[in-house]
Amino acid sequence: MKGLNAPDDDRRRRAMEPFVRETFQMFIRYLYRYLGNEVECEDVLEDVYGDIWEKPDRLRDVESERQLLRTVYLYYMRKRLREVYRRMNRHLYLSQNDLTNLTAPELGTLDTMSQSELKHALGQALGRLKARERRAIELWLEGMSVRAIANELKTTVGAVKMLKFRTILKLKKMMSEYCREE
Amino acid sequence: MADTNRKIQELLSDYAGALRDGCLPVFLKSLTRQEGKTMTCSDDFWEAAEVVRVLNGVGFADKAATADVGLFASRVDANIASRLKRAKRSPRARRTNGARSMNKARKAEKPI
Repeated sequence: MKGLNAPDDDRRRRAMEPFVRETFQMFIRYLYRYLGNEVECEDVLEDVYGDIWEKPDRLRDVESERQLLRTVYLYYMRKRLREVYRRMNRHLYLSQNDLTNLTAPELGTLDTMSQSELKHALGQALGRLKARERRAIELWLEGMSVRAIANELKTTVGAVKMLKFRTILKLKKMMSEYCREE
Repeated sequence: MADTNRKIQELLSDYAGALRDGCLPVFLKSLTRQEGKTMTCSDDFWEAAEVVRVLNGVGFADKAATADVGLFASRVDANIASRLKRAKRSPRARRTNGARSMNKARKAEKPI
């Protein structure tokens, strides 16, 4: 973060390289949640770093990694994420508000947790699920399609979709509880 | 995603699949007016969508094949360079040299 808030453009530009090296992996993983596509993540992140270079004021009082991620998401990433899909909205049956909530939402309780905390909370929550529910989520996380999961669990596609939906809602409840306890 | 009147669990499943496969625009384009309304009215959908994003991050972000950091840093530097160039050329910058339109200059003049 050294030199990032310097008034001189060139000094700030020089300070960007170590900042990019330090934060690239963390930011790209975070963006991946919303885009699920490496190429788009990199395009968005390039503009995010450009915006940070242009207006770094928001990062002045950042003290921790969590605070950095939160600030960067709220003030830099969110704007760029909205722009990715804004042009599409003309052809969609989805209100602008819903589109924003889907592609660049407000930060929920789970969004503020770090990757390692999330992994821990998810691991705990998965352990508390019924075997069939856990299996459905695990297979999905392995990259299997709904049809393949249905074959594996010897059930129908519709039943798997319902099972997944209910299990995800259960996970949400468990992980929110974990957040409150922490 | 050929089904035209999907229920909320089907919509969530398709959203999760699209996010995992990196083709969210395909899902967005596939939505019908009715499905859009169904999503708007369902609190469960939005709660589940938050978890889906988390699962996407935890399950797949580590496997993403990202560019080399050094190469990416030079991309960022090129982006900054083009912004600097644009800022130097921008008409806004030229306007700050004290030049005003005739109308504004006239308004600013005190009547005798």
